[in-house]
Amino acid sequence: MPKLTVNGKGVEVPAGTNLIEAARTVGVEVPHYCYHPGLSIAGQCRLCMVDIEKTPRPSIACNTVAADGMVVQTETERVRETRKSMMEFHLINHPLDCPVCDQAGECWLQIYYMKHGLYDPRMKDEKVHKPKAVPLGPHVILDAERCILCSRCVRFCDEITHTGELGIFERGDHSEIGLFPGRELDNKYSANVVDICPVGALTDRDFRFQVRVWYLDTAKSICPGCARGCNIEVHVNRRRPHHAEGRRVARLKPRFNAEVNKWWLCDAGRYGFGFVDAAERLLMPARRQGGTSTEATWDEAIAAVAGALRRLTPDQMGIIASPKMSNEDLFALRRLIDLCGVRHVAGQVPPRVPGDEDDFLIRADKNPNSRGAELLGLGGDARTVIEAAGRRRLKLLWIFGHDLLASALPEPDVLEALRVVDTVVFTGSNANWTSAHSHWVLPAAAWVEREGTYTSFEGRVQRFRQAIEPLGQSLAEWEIVTRILAPLGEAPSATRAEHWFRQLAASVPAFAGLSYQLIGDSGRPLAEAART
Amino acid sequence: MSHGQPSTSNRASAVRAGLSDPATTISFSEAQLGEVRRLQSLYPDARGALLPVLHMAQETFGYISLEAEEYVATLFDLSPAHVHEVVTFYTLYFRERPGRHVVAVCHNLSCHLAGAPGIIAHLKDKLGIDPGATTEDGRVTFLTVECLCACEAAPMAQVDDRYELNLTPEKIDRLLEGLR
Repeated sequence: MPKLTVNGKGVEVPAGTNLIEAARTVGVEVPHYCYHPGLSIAGQCRLCMVDIEKTPRPSIACNTVAADGMVVQTETERVRETRKSMMEFHLINHPLDCPVCDQAGECWLQIYYMKHGLYDPRMKDEKVHKPKAVPLGPHVILDAERCILCSRCVRFCDEITHTGELGIFERGDHSEIGLFPGRELDNKYSANVVDICPVGALTDRDFRFQVRVWYLDTAKSICPGCARGCNIEVHVNRRRPHHAEGRRVARLKPRFNAEVNKWWLCDAGRYGFGFVDAAERLLMPARRQGGTSTEATWDEAIAAVAGALRRLTPDQMGIIASPKMSNEDLFALRRLIDLCGVRHVAGQVPPRVPGDEDDFLIRADKNPNSRGAELLGLGGDARTVIEAAGRRRLKLLWIFGHDLLASALPEPDVLEALRVVDTVVFTGSNANWTSAHSHWVLPAAAWVEREGTYTSFEGRVQRFRQAIEPLGQSLAEWEIVTRILAPLGEAPSATRAEHWFRQLAASVPAFAGLSYQLIGDSGRPLAEAART
Repeated sequence: MSHGQPSTSNRASAVRAGLSDPATTISFSEAQLGEVRRLQSLYPDARGALLPVLHMAQETFGYISLEAEEYVATLFDLSPAHVHEVVTFYTLYFRERPGRHVVAVCHNLSCHLAGAPGIIAHLKDKLGIDPGATTEDGRVTFLTVECLCACEAAPMAQVDDRYELNLTPEKIDRLLEGLR
């Protein structure tokens, strides 16, 4: 492994490491636009110049491999001057429309101008004008005047999605990124080009103009869109609600995890949060009698469900859990199932349309915690429970989240089951056809409104944090279950999701040794034996 | 870079894409495909043959339409966007059908000093079009170009495949006579 010094600090890096990454390991940031660790080297922006002892001119750090004995300086006078000149070049034709640019606040032209530019502009010629506000596809919009031609987006489409939609056309100062005429940027990962665009050239059609980025709060989370468990950041708008018509979740951004999704996130996951602030959110516990639904208190709802659980025999009770619930929710529910001896238990409801899958991130299983549900014995097929209900064995059917009437289960069977069971309870965040047929509706908080863990299909346990307050009176599923356990004789000891996780780690071998602290921000694999 | 030349107007060509002659099928003959394979075999990366194959396409189809770019892309297993990058970068590829003759007048330094502006003005006057345009009858495409390496005989122009040297307005008139 080559040993070198960067700004006087010694560092040893794996062979093949470039100087940007080598400098990063000793906390030295080499400014750059075109370099991206997930893409090939372009050497396009010329900003990452560093001085290397015994080389006559500054060299680009991105395309220089660390070598033994190298002496690298990133802050010499010459390097600083070079950077300043490069910034001046990058900004020659830039429209300086920051006040109306959605990138403002997270724009690397702004950041680097303040850090490394601060020159007096010398341009007297008219700027070259290029197309503005050109939609490239369903999610991405282009302002070619703001583009610095770093080619990250082009390389992303060539190297990551292998779809090759984008190119740099024309030449000289007329160069511009664009699509082959008549084509669209419409691959399943298209919005990643917005993340990697260092400037305001590519912006997000869904997010733009909603809220200035400096008003956003962020929480580390996990995408609930499929079994992959891509690491994400949830960006929420709590400080300027009037700017987005009350929409609290502003956007989701991928969060780097070398073991899971690297820097990327699919579009389906990225834009899958609409349900959180949708009109169909369930806000209050409700009771339905003879076709009319009335609001109830949590005390009434809990008493009703706990009463039924206490009164009925194990064979009269059925529960359909959900692989969208967290490990903590499922473990709490498992405790309740074991306590009451509930005999008819399932978790998987087959989807009406099979999920799409690819060989990159997207998984056919659109649930974030199927593996966790399996490990807790809640991964069974819901058909068995519906059949039991159809045979008039069930008096209580408690459904978590699923819309059985929008699934592959035969609709007549489901309708019959919902009709003949005395007490149908629905717990979920959003209303659906199944909740409309339920006697009790217990509103659940959405994943961004609470914390917990999911277990990915690869057996990786990952934490998601709370970003916003639960809407209305909704509660996390574990909390609902905890409240119901109390009248059943189980002393409620869990006041946080973590309390349930501790018990889970202590009693389920697959989770042995795991804790919230260990899982941290990037997740931990299940105990060896449970990985397969 | 001078404005208005047919080969350097990306956005305009996108609009005109629909005008390509539907009767022309964009494909090479078997012999041409053999030549494509031969050219590709000359380079460590087959992509090295992209420029000569694009010239073949231009000779065969008259100019490089978007359809031709897509066709060439299939021969190289490249994205059409990549071929479009190459075609729009170089000025010797015509992105719309040129006239039957191409008059390309040098306006670089030596020719400029030797009187190219007068030659260009004379051609504008005679043809009734600006550089970058094609006469309405499709007879002549008039271009201004950078140095063609004949400074010793400035001002000069390339007319189709021939160099025309030491130009004067009278010589231009004679030249235009010969272009039918």
